[in-house]
Amino acid sequence: MIKVVDLKKNFDKLEVLKGINEHIEKGEVVAVIGPSGSGKSTFLRCLNLLEDVTEGEIYVDDELINSPKADINKIRQKMGMVFQQFNLFPHLKIIDNITLAPTLLNKMSKEDAVKRAYELLERVGLKDKAESYPASLSGGQKQRVAIARALAMDPEIMLFDEPTSALDPEMVGEVLDVIKDLARSGMTMVIVTHEMGFAREVATRVLFMDQGIIMESGSPAEIFDNPQNERTKLFLSKVLNL
Amino acid sequence: MAQLLTVSEILYKCFIKEDRYKLMISGIGVTLKVSLVAVVLGVIIGFLIALCNLSKNKILKTIGGIYTDVIRGTPSVTQLMLIYFVVFAAIRWEKWIICAIAFGINSGGYVAEIIRAGILSIDRGQTEAGRSLGLNAKQTMVKIVLPQAIKNIFPALCNEFIVLIKETAIVGYVGLMDIQKAGDFIKSATFIPFAPLFATAIIYYVIIKVLNIGLKYIEKRLRASEIR
Repeated sequence: MIKVVDLKKNFDKLEVLKGINEHIEKGEVVAVIGPSGSGKSTFLRCLNLLEDVTEGEIYVDDELINSPKADINKIRQKMGMVFQQFNLFPHLKIIDNITLAPTLLNKMSKEDAVKRAYELLERVGLKDKAESYPASLSGGQKQRVAIARALAMDPEIMLFDEPTSALDPEMVGEVLDVIKDLARSGMTMVIVTHEMGFAREVATRVLFMDQGIIMESGSPAEIFDNPQNERTKLFLSKVLNL
Repeated sequence: MAQLLTVSEILYKCFIKEDRYKLMISGIGVTLKVSLVAVVLGVIIGFLIALCNLSKNKILKTIGGIYTDVIRGTPSVTQLMLIYFVVFAAIRWEKWIICAIAFGINSGGYVAEIIRAGILSIDRGQTEAGRSLGLNAKQTMVKIVLPQAIKNIFPALCNEFIVLIKETAIVGYVGLMDIQKAGDFIKSATFIPFAPLFATAIIYYVIIKVLNIGLKYIEKRLRASEIR
């Protein structure tokens, strides 16, 4: 579903990604873990070209997306993205946050979009907030709306960029529950996260990134219980023995 | 030798005699229409120049840069005279229209910077969220960035409108009879400086006061989404 070949990304002279090769199959839930500065967010953002790629190839459904010929707007409609900072549109009501893209991009009529938005809000447990503005929601609620907003485009893939990192601790659970629910429904997902327990529970595969490359990849059991790479061991010993 | 006049004599000489009040009233009309057209032009030009300044295209960026640089680096009265006596030397449109164009061009330079700052004030995450949903750059700008930017820049734009209205008081330099020029004319005709100039000040003050009340109301409406 997503194929990444020798992906490199530089910010001016700083090499952030130094050659990533990765293949993500349909239905996989891939958790990307690693220390800060390891390039995991950049990797995720390259997948829907929020960062332009310095070198290498990214294929989504066998289509090369980082080519001038690719219609990036069309491709992005297949990939929902959830940000650390939620990025809800503060000038729009919750319901309009969710219906904006499907109606503007003629994916569905206003009526259908509203109906679908209410279904999604029900799914994330926020139906009663439809007519509120984002400013009146808590962080956890905002992130759940952001997930609903991304789902409104019926994406094939969901990308999560540290979805709980900006949340107060007591709100992390409610957001993770929504993501777990989504994982169980068979959605293909790539999740950059610092929540190790969550990664272990929900992921079908874990990628450990450090220094701009994928150091180790395997099932949660392999990575967490029996890491092979020295850097993985070091990282896990730091984050798991807090 | 100064002759002492009563208040009513002063008022009579300045405003009633030879229908001089009509001069002031038509001056109000001139000031208002020059300002109004200039504000609209200024916002349009300012928006286009702001887009040039924010564009990645080097040529557009240079054009925008030179425009704001020149407009903000020269006196508006010089710009007005250049446009009236040089650019429009051969084109004899109505005086007030040429003045409105001159002020629109001038205001555009300032509005451009206000709008540019407003667009930049919107968090990058907003654009990224829009683009990640599949909206193109224009849709993201129109539906997501601009509505928020307008709210942020509204107070600065109001200030620019107010400055612009007062700035139009220099149109007398090219012989257009606005409020200021009318007051000045009456002063010269009657040799009474106080009453006509004071009346001029009051008229400007009232126009701006009324405008301010209207703008404050709009600003309050714009902020509706921030109420928790």
